[in-house]
Amino acid sequence: MVSVATTHVQQGQGRFAGLVWTLIRTDFKTRYHGTLGGFVWALLKPLTMFLVLLAVFSYVFASEPQYKFDLIIGLFLYEFFQESTKAGLLSIRAKGYLLTKAKFPSWIVVVTSASNAVITLALFSCVLVTFLALTGRAPTPLGVALYALYQALFFAIVAGFSLAASVLFMRYRDLNQVWEVITHAGFFIAPIIYPIGILPERVHAYLYAWPPTPIILFSRSVLLDGRTPSAFAHLLLFAVTAIIFGSGALIYRARAPRVLEEL
Amino acid sequence: MRPSVIEVSGVSKGFTIPSVRRETVREHALDLFRRRPQERLSVLESVSFELRRGESLGLMGRNGSGKSTLLKIVSGIYPADAGQVRVHAAITPILELGVGWNPDLDAIDNIELLGTVMGMTLRELRAATREILEFAELEKFAHLELRHYSSGMAARLAYAVAFRAVRDVLILDEIFAVGDAGFKERCQARYRDLHRGGHSMLLVSHEPRTIAAFCDRALLLESGRIIFAGSADAVADRYLALLTEEPPDMARPAAR
Repeated sequence: MVSVATTHVQQGQGRFAGLVWTLIRTDFKTRYHGTLGGFVWALLKPLTMFLVLLAVFSYVFASEPQYKFDLIIGLFLYEFFQESTKAGLLSIRAKGYLLTKAKFPSWIVVVTSASNAVITLALFSCVLVTFLALTGRAPTPLGVALYALYQALFFAIVAGFSLAASVLFMRYRDLNQVWEVITHAGFFIAPIIYPIGILPERVHAYLYAWPPTPIILFSRSVLLDGRTPSAFAHLLLFAVTAIIFGSGALIYRARAPRVLEEL
Repeated sequence: MRPSVIEVSGVSKGFTIPSVRRETVREHALDLFRRRPQERLSVLESVSFELRRGESLGLMGRNGSGKSTLLKIVSGIYPADAGQVRVHAAITPILELGVGWNPDLDAIDNIELLGTVMGMTLRELRAATREILEFAELEKFAHLELRHYSSGMAARLAYAVAFRAVRDVLILDEIFAVGDAGFKERCQARYRDLHRGGHSMLLVSHEPRTIAAFCDRALLLESGRIIFAGSADAVADRYLALLTEEPPDMARPAAR
């Protein structure tokens, strides 16, 4: 009978705090390396994108003042989803040069890989709420709190996907291309450019099964309409988040111990 | 007798041969309809040894004998297929240090990245940055991005960080193979200081003189098995004798 046991002295979880901070800081610095304006661009990007989209959509959709905000929220949230899941999927491969240097949990590089997308989303959210407040459409404090909660759940969904995809990608090297096709198709599944109401009600459940859909719709609802989705809808969102995160963590746990052999 | 800091007992390890590995969704889908052979390459077979506190243990063997795989298993980077590894102290491995920097970051940022991976706190690293750069003789290039470094400069920086990050046990793969004579001398002096200070060392080298000079005892690995263990001098002599013999299996790929 084959027996395997490996025990290492525990060095304390606190030692990873510096690593987490350094990974976030250096990823941020690398992204804006060599760009005109450097890291200031990171701050300006969400603001300028917001203003450009607002100006264009105000002109194109002048007769539908609500639609431009629906579109902007949908576009930004979906961009967060695309960018963070792509970074998460590639994370172990991209940071393999660190993972083979010393023993530390690879989930740290997976979860921190979304940091740039999180920063952009946080800045966009500040710009959006400020703009709504300045134009007399300030969301309620409860609406802002719920919006923050939805983004936290969105991050948990992304983290769950990334945990699974990062280890599976080491085995299936074309998974990033498959995921790219899925997210491009998913852009049209999520009701970003069209209102969900134009589709028959019987297909709504399928649209809600695509994780960005409830996040986008709930976010619009609390920020723009001042309506809180039902408790049952929240329960479903929590359940979906828990299932995705839990499944991702289980797949990661099963494959992570041997994933570095694939590097 | 001094207590053990690393106990390796009956460790075996193998890898799937890359030429028959399926690596894409497409290949897996196609293989639903046709079977492909799954061949395993045995890299380590029932390896056992222990490292005692304050001891410097050498590990010798030809290319492909399983040395690097064994170091990665002991460091916790690879899991063993069978056997037991017990580590009772914090390990600092110095493995594959010539490669793996972020080329868009300067030396100071890369020092923080590698140092935190090796378990140093940011406070420790910031206090030690000057010393690390001095050790690597790279003070003038502290703010230069790594893409502009030569491979020798990058390796010197890596060794300087790793030597500063040592906790209890130091695991080194082909140390003293980097830099000019002055840098090698500093590495050797640092190694001796750490050994005198009570640190335990596991040192891999192809160089018999290095093993004889820096190790208390040594192991000789061949085809994934320990074929000889004894004093560092005796193992160095046996290794030299082994080099003149015909390898048992010339087709054996290099261990990862």
